[in-house]
Amino acid sequence: MFNFLKQVGDYAKDAAQAAKYIGQGLSVTFDHMQRRPVTVQYPYEKLIPSERYRGRIHYEFDKCISCEVCVRVCPINLPIVDWEFDKATKKKKLNHYSIDFGVCIFCGNCVEYCPTNCLSMTEEYELAAYDRHELNYDSVALGRLPYKVTQDPMVTALREFAYLPKGEMDPHDLPPDAQRAGQRPEELVKALQKEAAAQAKPEES
Amino acid sequence: MNSGIDLQGSFIQTLTEFGLPHDLARAFWIPLPMILVVIGAVVGVLVTVWLERKVSAAAQQRIGPEFAGPLGVLQPVADGLKLVFKEDLVPNKADPWLFTLGPVLVVIPVILSYLIVPFGQNLLITDLNVGIFLWISLSSIAPIGLLMAGYSSNNKYSLLGGLRAAAQSISYEIPLALAVLAVVMMSNSLSTIDIVEQQSGYGILGWNIWRQPVGFLIFWIAALAECERLPFDLPEAEEEIVAGYQTEYSGMRFALFYVGSYINLVLSALIVAILYLGGWEFPIPLDQLAGWLGVSETTPWLQVTTASLGIIMTILKAYLLVFLAVLLRWTLPRVRIDQLLDLGWKFLLPVALVNLLLTAALKLVFPFAFGG
Repeated sequence: MFNFLKQVGDYAKDAAQAAKYIGQGLSVTFDHMQRRPVTVQYPYEKLIPSERYRGRIHYEFDKCISCEVCVRVCPINLPIVDWEFDKATKKKKLNHYSIDFGVCIFCGNCVEYCPTNCLSMTEEYELAAYDRHELNYDSVALGRLPYKVTQDPMVTALREFAYLPKGEMDPHDLPPDAQRAGQRPEELVKALQKEAAAQAKPEES
Repeated sequence: MNSGIDLQGSFIQTLTEFGLPHDLARAFWIPLPMILVVIGAVVGVLVTVWLERKVSAAAQQRIGPEFAGPLGVLQPVADGLKLVFKEDLVPNKADPWLFTLGPVLVVIPVILSYLIVPFGQNLLITDLNVGIFLWISLSSIAPIGLLMAGYSSNNKYSLLGGLRAAAQSISYEIPLALAVLAVVMMSNSLSTIDIVEQQSGYGILGWNIWRQPVGFLIFWIAALAECERLPFDLPEAEEEIVAGYQTEYSGMRFALFYVGSYINLVLSALIVAILYLGGWEFPIPLDQLAGWLGVSETTPWLQVTTASLGIIMTILKAYLLVFLAVLLRWTLPRVRIDQLLDLGWKFLLPVALVNLLLTAALKLVFPFAFGG
């Protein structure tokens, strides 16, 4: 008899606990209702890509020495370097260069290892095309610079989370001169230079 | 006790004064509330779809529909229009008759159940003396339609979804009926009007939720399961069985399922409001307030005000519950089929039985508070 009552009591306790947890969960969901949406209305608003953003690769044909380092460091040997040996000048003559961005994983190894810095990362990420072969960029397409979202009159450029002032959570309606949290690189450099100058002075005297 | 506005009586009286026979006047009256209720139900669905999308968006820190009309209110209309203009597909090896009959059989009982939903003293289609029982019996037709749709689609996911829908509806009908029975026992009537009348007089304190808190919870859980809302949306669990019995449906037939599920949700919320939250009653007893202010019960403006306030209160309570259902949707994960049946048979059923017995005992002990 007592065993049965204990079972009923335990059962009721379990049910009450479950109800409590459901209530807690509901309060969490309800609390989310008053938070501001994080939506970026994409074609009208765009986030400004960060400075180390790894977007479509930019390539300068004239700087390239056809060394094929980019091919060797590429995980799948993707860049196609079409060169021939010019016997007259005894130098490599570059005919064509292309990267297929339908296959590229934007790891940035080629940019890292390019000895003449002819490869670089851009902030372009809108690579949609009707045909995948359109993504095979030749040297002319690779040489184009992307539009900046900050200069596009159709687009409201929004800052990413890390570039907002301290305590600010919403990129909308920020004053244009609001600085992000922490020191900017040039400020850090300035501080370091000042420190170096201060150290150099006592040595002189 | 004054019964408030009697639209039917006045309408028939006006027509008979024009020289029409009484029966003909009645025949003229009959389609009016029906059309009104069907329109109301469809508009209710549009509002619910919009509300669900907006509340879901808010719960996930999104914006939700925004461009179709102000605040995206036309989005459900756009969705509906899209479904209307889609091609009417029937799968090659499906049974065309049962495939068509399935969604119809799901929607018609749900709309028919609006017959007994009162929005005021005389603001309902028929005051049946078996009112709430009619709703329970009509809601058990829907699983037949779901099973029909699932079986006739000739698709394993549809069949699984249909079977799950049938199992779920049958299991949760029993605690639902038992919870209703406790309320009915207190009000000594199956009529929805009488059930609301019994809660009136003391404002918010007289509502059944204070006398039947356990019954309210059981009813709400079971109603969510009957509507196949999320914690209990196993019949259309998209991660497991694509879309359940709706898998092969598209266009108008799918729209029927879609509309049916939302009408059912609104209807369940309305029934909860009627059974437990005092139906059209205002949180403050209006009759007594008018008495204190010295306004006669038969004053026309008072009657119009109370009637419109009653409609607003009913709809407000129902949509508060719809909001709760949407919130629950984003709070609770889906239960497994064994957990679902466990909850129905091993938890809700015994608790509902105990609740019923307790109500009977309390009715004997305190006849004044529990409807002797």
